[in-house]
Amino acid sequence: MFEFLFKYRPAVFEQGDFAFGARWPLVVILVLGAAIAAAALRGYGAAPGRSSPRDRLVLRGLRVAILVALVFFLLRPMLVVNAAVSQRNFVGVLVDDSRSMRVADHDGASRADIVRAMLDDRQGALLTSLRERFQVRLFRFGRGAERVDDLSRLTFDANETRLADALDGARRELESVPVSGLVLLTDGADNANVPLADMLLSLRARSVPVFAVGVGAERFDRDIEVRRVETSRSVLKGSTLVASVLVRQRGFGGAAVPLVVEDEGRVVGRSQVILPVGDEAGVVKVRVQLDQAGPRALTFRIPLQPGEQVTQNNGQGALVRVRDGREKILYVEGEPRYEMRFIRAAVEADSNLQLVALQRTAENKFLRLNVDGPAELVGGFPRSRAELFQYRAVILGSIEAGFFGKDQLAMLADFVGTRGGGLLFLGGRRAFAEGGYAGTALADVMPVVIEGTAATGDEPAFVSDLAATLTPGGLGAAVTQVVTERDTIGRQGKGAPTVAEKWGSLPAVTSVNRIRRVKPGAVTLIAGRQARPLRQGLPAEAAGYEQPLLVYQRYGRGLAVALPVQDSWTWRMGAGIEVEDATFERFWRQMLRWITSEVPGRVTIATTADQANPRSPVTLRAEVVDSAFTRLNDAQVVAHVVNAAGDRRDVPLDWTVDRDGEYQGTFTPDGAGIHSIRVEAVSKSGGSASDSAYVRVAERDDEFVDAEMRASVLKRIADETGGRFYTPARARSLAADVALSRRGVTVVNEMDLWDMPINFLLLVLLLGAEWGCRKYRGLA
Amino acid sequence: MIVRHLARVLLAWSALALVGAPARAQRFPGGGGGRPDFSAQFGNPDDFWSHPEFAGNPVYDGRFTFARIKYRGYGHFTNEGPGWAHDYPTADEHLMRILKEVTSMRPFILQGPVKGGALVALDDPALFRYPVSYLSEPGGWHPTALEVAGLRKYLLKGGFVIVDDFGFGDWANFVEQMQKVLPGVRPVPMSGKEPVFDSFYKVDISNVRSVRGRAQFFGVYQDNDPRKRLLMIVNYSADIGDSWQWAGQGFIAVDATNEAFKLGVNYLVYALTH
Repeated sequence: MFEFLFKYRPAVFEQGDFAFGARWPLVVILVLGAAIAAAALRGYGAAPGRSSPRDRLVLRGLRVAILVALVFFLLRPMLVVNAAVSQRNFVGVLVDDSRSMRVADHDGASRADIVRAMLDDRQGALLTSLRERFQVRLFRFGRGAERVDDLSRLTFDANETRLADALDGARRELESVPVSGLVLLTDGADNANVPLADMLLSLRARSVPVFAVGVGAERFDRDIEVRRVETSRSVLKGSTLVASVLVRQRGFGGAAVPLVVEDEGRVVGRSQVILPVGDEAGVVKVRVQLDQAGPRALTFRIPLQPGEQVTQNNGQGALVRVRDGREKILYVEGEPRYEMRFIRAAVEADSNLQLVALQRTAENKFLRLNVDGPAELVGGFPRSRAELFQYRAVILGSIEAGFFGKDQLAMLADFVGTRGGGLLFLGGRRAFAEGGYAGTALADVMPVVIEGTAATGDEPAFVSDLAATLTPGGLGAAVTQVVTERDTIGRQGKGAPTVAEKWGSLPAVTSVNRIRRVKPGAVTLIAGRQARPLRQGLPAEAAGYEQPLLVYQRYGRGLAVALPVQDSWTWRMGAGIEVEDATFERFWRQMLRWITSEVPGRVTIATTADQANPRSPVTLRAEVVDSAFTRLNDAQVVAHVVNAAGDRRDVPLDWTVDRDGEYQGTFTPDGAGIHSIRVEAVSKSGGSASDSAYVRVAERDDEFVDAEMRASVLKRIADETGGRFYTPARARSLAADVALSRRGVTVVNEMDLWDMPINFLLLVLLLGAEWGCRKYRGLA
Repeated sequence: MIVRHLARVLLAWSALALVGAPARAQRFPGGGGGRPDFSAQFGNPDDFWSHPEFAGNPVYDGRFTFARIKYRGYGHFTNEGPGWAHDYPTADEHLMRILKEVTSMRPFILQGPVKGGALVALDDPALFRYPVSYLSEPGGWHPTALEVAGLRKYLLKGGFVIVDDFGFGDWANFVEQMQKVLPGVRPVPMSGKEPVFDSFYKVDISNVRSVRGRAQFFGVYQDNDPRKRLLMIVNYSADIGDSWQWAGQGFIAVDATNEAFKLGVNYLVYALTH
């Protein structure tokens, strides 16, 4: 309709410059028009007849409008358009050759089918239209743009979509010829995870417009997509891994579906999850027990549901390194008490945990338990960083701040902040504020706010009985996962309790540490609610007294955890707890695994991703420190990479100069399968340390993640480069639009506007209005 | 010690003479291992004897509290009551005072009329508040089925029991009752090199003697395996509770009293750390 009324397509108006093409001088035409208008107006004024002043005003107005329109047309309005010279310019046509183009979301036809139809030899098809005007260069792209001669080279098998690289590659290819624009046929499902801004800036600077055709549905009707899995990349053997799985659904909101976890085809976990409602992706938690050491290639998958449009996006992989090491933890306790005895018993049989106990039994008298040799802790609590930093975590029991020297307190803070160790604060009459920690270096490390001075006297001034309640954060935390499917004792056929039910059923514990607030940024996993009638020492407002039972925060590189209760052993010894109930043991094993899970060693290796495509370079980054965790810049660092076939090669890592202690190197995997990487660092003094990591090399399935057509991305590319965005149905005018892009070799076209049908329609309307007005008022 | 013990024995025999029946016969009516029947003289044997100095258990506040196991009936009754109550509460209080004095522990000692610690029955859920407990005179101990079940659960979940104050004549009963608690259990003789004798003081067990002669020590281990957890320490032919009670009174030699306290402290420190 627009083109019928205005003679040209909107793109012509957008691209053209407005001008008048009359041969007579403008002034002459204006004067002539004014004279005719004046005469016409006088005519109405001189012979008013039966007309009223209002009638005359209306009729004068219509007459003037008609005259103004005529004068405007006499001025010969036109659009001056720079149009590409036929066959003198080049157009790059980039076809998305990635696997996501196989998605059949267009009335049963795949995106690839749509693209093929646009590029066939039919008259009026996109490619034909372009070839009528331009020299066309065809590219296919996935990771980058590759020139192809014909459509037979399209396979739609690329496992990546990198729009920026593709556009940049095509631009470079056509750099030496006049280019009118780039035509992009894609679903826009870019998975390069790099910002487009640089590429767009480059195209704009070189005046290369992009005409993007978005292929595919902007929103699927029915689909479930496992978009991402977030989990620890390294855990200790025997740990319960809690993975956060990001799930998005279309048409399945609120449905209950199974989420299965497989380890090389073996089901190791299964949960029933409720899919999120609404467009936003939701996180569901699933836990996995990892009892087998080595690299575990886990797959998190929701079985295909009826009617799903995309069948390839229901699973995601995660590579987890299950360590079979022995984590060494120092537990310092200021007085013999049950807590140590039961915690030690809970983890005693765990070959992956070594709980070294430094038990003060009397003034200057210590009991050392589970030490490696007679020299360990012989002088009491460590006095040097090297001595303390050999432990992966420290537990402080009921031991007052005054026991430590000022340097030792600062060293403990550094143990968390610099060394990256875990520090667990237990409750007790000599802990927290009651232990005199307010104002010390450790008060900053604690995830709770402590106020007040050290307690005096043997009898606690404050005792609260607290029932444990999991917070929303605690429901999905690995440390609280104390239930297994076998926990059915006393359940009368109802199956294992949920984690929340289990914690709700545990006996109340007591705290002698008055803690009301947690630090900003700290996370409470378990809250304690007053379980019994109030005791002396509780504040008056304590009818619904609550205090955090398990809180953590990141502090520097490490983890600080507070468990301000004095008798977690009640969860083992409580009268209602059955002998077979392993809740307490599981809790403490998980706790010690948690506080040691992310603790770095003297060498820490990180890879750019735990999964890589074959032939894609993998960057290795290692941090190297000495025994006191001072960063080393002069170490010899080598990565020994062993592929799935057992072939080994050494990759030297060089100091990056940008950061102390950071070394970097790159290797390109050869062949699929899990590549093991062992980084060894040797310092100048001869000390050595190492760390291991794994990379799974496989074709990635990212093509089907977030695979809906991303119109917003394509519109942005088109808008910022001066091009346009089309759907396949509207792409017929694309060739003509490219011709008006003003790029390449162009010729100036003057396109008359005076003869637009709308002009004549306007004149007829004005004349008809004047005539109708006269007729209606009886003036004709 | 001997004088005191003899006096106690005489008193016990006097009491038994008063009720007109031989003690042995009353202890084991029918000649077997059943419960003694003192009902005619003392009331219902299914009830606990009420200690006149007992003023209630301390309110639990997390402090270490000495827990003494009480049992039903009147086995080994003396002027101090049934066997379980012998030396109570003075022995308990004295041990707690020593514990506070020599260790970094701050146990419950005394609060108003409540002295020494708690009295708990084996079928009382409160037992599980006290993972370390003390059983005196197991020769007079004849637990009910509920008590057997309670002790079994207590030991298997992590409880630790110090058994004290008994001699030759009581051993059979102790073993018989323990077979009900842990079928197949075999108390293992201890050499003195076990960690429990070196947890705070280094104690030479050959120096520990009582009126019954040279003390012998047995351990009841999980699965009868000395490499596993020690569930019970059994002071056979010994009475360290007596020494705790009479400390400072001159009835018992200082050395013997010292050894008794050292053992008591060791047992508790061991139980709280191992």
